[in-house]
Amino acid sequence: MMAILKRELKSYFLTPIGYLYMGFFLLVAGVFFTFGNLLPRSSYFTSFLSGVLFVYLFAIPLLTMRLFSEERRQRTDQLLLTSPVSIPEIVLGKFLAAYAVYLLTLAVTVMYALVVGIHGDLAVWETLGSYIGFILLGASYISVGVFVSAGTENQLTSALVSFFSLLIIWLIDPISQAVPSDLAAGIVSAAVLVGAVCGYLYINTRNRYLAAGAAFLGALIIAALYFVDKGVYIGFIRKFLGWFSLNKRYESFSMGILKIDSLVYYVSFSGLFLFLTVRLIEKRRWN
Amino acid sequence: MIEATNLVKRYGPHTAVDNASFTIERGEIVGFLGPNGAGKSTTMNILSGYLSSTEGTVTVDGMNILEHPMEAKKKIGYLPENPPLYPEMTVREYLRFAGEIKKVPSEELPSRMERIMQTVGIQDVAGRLIRNLSKGYKQRVGLAQAMIGDPEILILDEPTAGLDPKQILEIRDLIISLGRDHTVILSSHILPEVSAVCRRILIINDGRIVADDTPENLAHRLLGGSHVLLRVEGPRERVEEALRAVPAVRNVEFQEPQEPGTVEAVAEAEKDRDIRRDVFRAMSGAGLPVLMMRALDMSLEEIFLHLTTKEEEAATT
Repeated sequence: MMAILKRELKSYFLTPIGYLYMGFFLLVAGVFFTFGNLLPRSSYFTSFLSGVLFVYLFAIPLLTMRLFSEERRQRTDQLLLTSPVSIPEIVLGKFLAAYAVYLLTLAVTVMYALVVGIHGDLAVWETLGSYIGFILLGASYISVGVFVSAGTENQLTSALVSFFSLLIIWLIDPISQAVPSDLAAGIVSAAVLVGAVCGYLYINTRNRYLAAGAAFLGALIIAALYFVDKGVYIGFIRKFLGWFSLNKRYESFSMGILKIDSLVYYVSFSGLFLFLTVRLIEKRRWN
Repeated sequence: MIEATNLVKRYGPHTAVDNASFTIERGEIVGFLGPNGAGKSTTMNILSGYLSSTEGTVTVDGMNILEHPMEAKKKIGYLPENPPLYPEMTVREYLRFAGEIKKVPSEELPSRMERIMQTVGIQDVAGRLIRNLSKGYKQRVGLAQAMIGDPEILILDEPTAGLDPKQILEIRDLIISLGRDHTVILSSHILPEVSAVCRRILIINDGRIVADDTPENLAHRLLGGSHVLLRVEGPRERVEEALRAVPAVRNVEFQEPQEPGTVEAVAEAEKDRDIRRDVFRAMSGAGLPVLMMRALDMSLEEIFLHLTTKEEEAATT
């Protein structure tokens, strides 16, 4: 894994991608800081950090687009997959390389915090919380990018799909505010969810009885929950969408509150997408 | 050493490899021969563990490659059809990376890199970017990559594709010398290439193994004297008459004359008959000087035609 990590890290700076990512991110962050903090002489640093969060929507796809798609295009995945390294090692090595570049670039913005701290009044705990939030959020964003990159052999497709995936994650909050939250909508959406799971099971196993069994079990659970506690279905869609909302959990960090459940959430979110990446690569060998 | 049992690889409705079984012993140099799209690369990708077969198993030294991938892959060096190179790295950086992921002990790696670079002849480009290398050098770097883990088995997919004739000869010599202490499996769609290097040939067509034999036996079965090309000094009618008088000659055709006063005749023999001696006696008896006589090589396509039609005949009877 160390070999993969080292090579990937080196290749960020042997190809233009590393410079492109750092240059793009630091340019936009610099503009934000200049016009948001320096010129208006504002020491409100967390607003700068919230603005920076938006830059990642564009920057993270740049960082991750190449990781697996380029290996496939160059056929170098044949070297990796026929060498005595496991697929989880490959995925983790690549993820950590991208993460290292991410953290390195983020570290540069600490300079801005120092400028604010020296010449003004820095909200230390909020800033610290925001940085911890960035460290966790970045891992989640990158894991999505890694997953998308493993699904294509074209860098541009990879970048665009990552961008739209992150955009959807961004838009989940506003969308979940608008969805209906009454009892009927909750039950219908739960039924749709069960249907989707059954469909997935059927497509993957081609086993009619298994899918039917799962549908029956799902219906049973929906009915049981209805009689036990109707409240579960009030705002069900919002709660469901909320599981995928990365940014909502960042807010508490930016207020200087360290929540363990958010921490666990981000770590498991990243872990899930890296696991899915491993599965995706393994699956391709069978097709 | 490496054993494939009932390998099947399906891509949707298309069957790329159809029930292929073979065993390759330690120290053999085996060639997979077949036209493009016959399933050679797919077979090699399965042997190397890059792809999984739909059905069937591959065992390396008795270890199933899916159940013990780490141990099995350490024993295999693989050069795919397109060498898996990172263009932004130098040759030395690339080989160091390849050595690291092949778990070469770090204290041993520098000396091994130098030795292998010398063997394949790439020391003088060691510091250059792979992007800037010629096709021949890239192929050698790919070969060095396959050798760096000191594997017992080398799988080389079309190792001479795209090289110029001088490079082809060099790579061939290299493969022959590697064959002294490695098991080598290589693929090609060029018959003379395989027969120059390999002691055993597996012919693949439409995903199936249609022949498995030594080059000599295959040549004997497929090429030996079935068509003979003659350059004879004398009038065409007399040559034809004399040739037709040979009992085993089935047919005679003439080609464009190449030298003044001579004719180019192609004599077709009856099945599995070598007519060269009889033709020589007939010509000498008729007082016609034979300036040249050689057995016509069957092209690969003809061999395939031969093998596949033969199989169908066997199936119908």
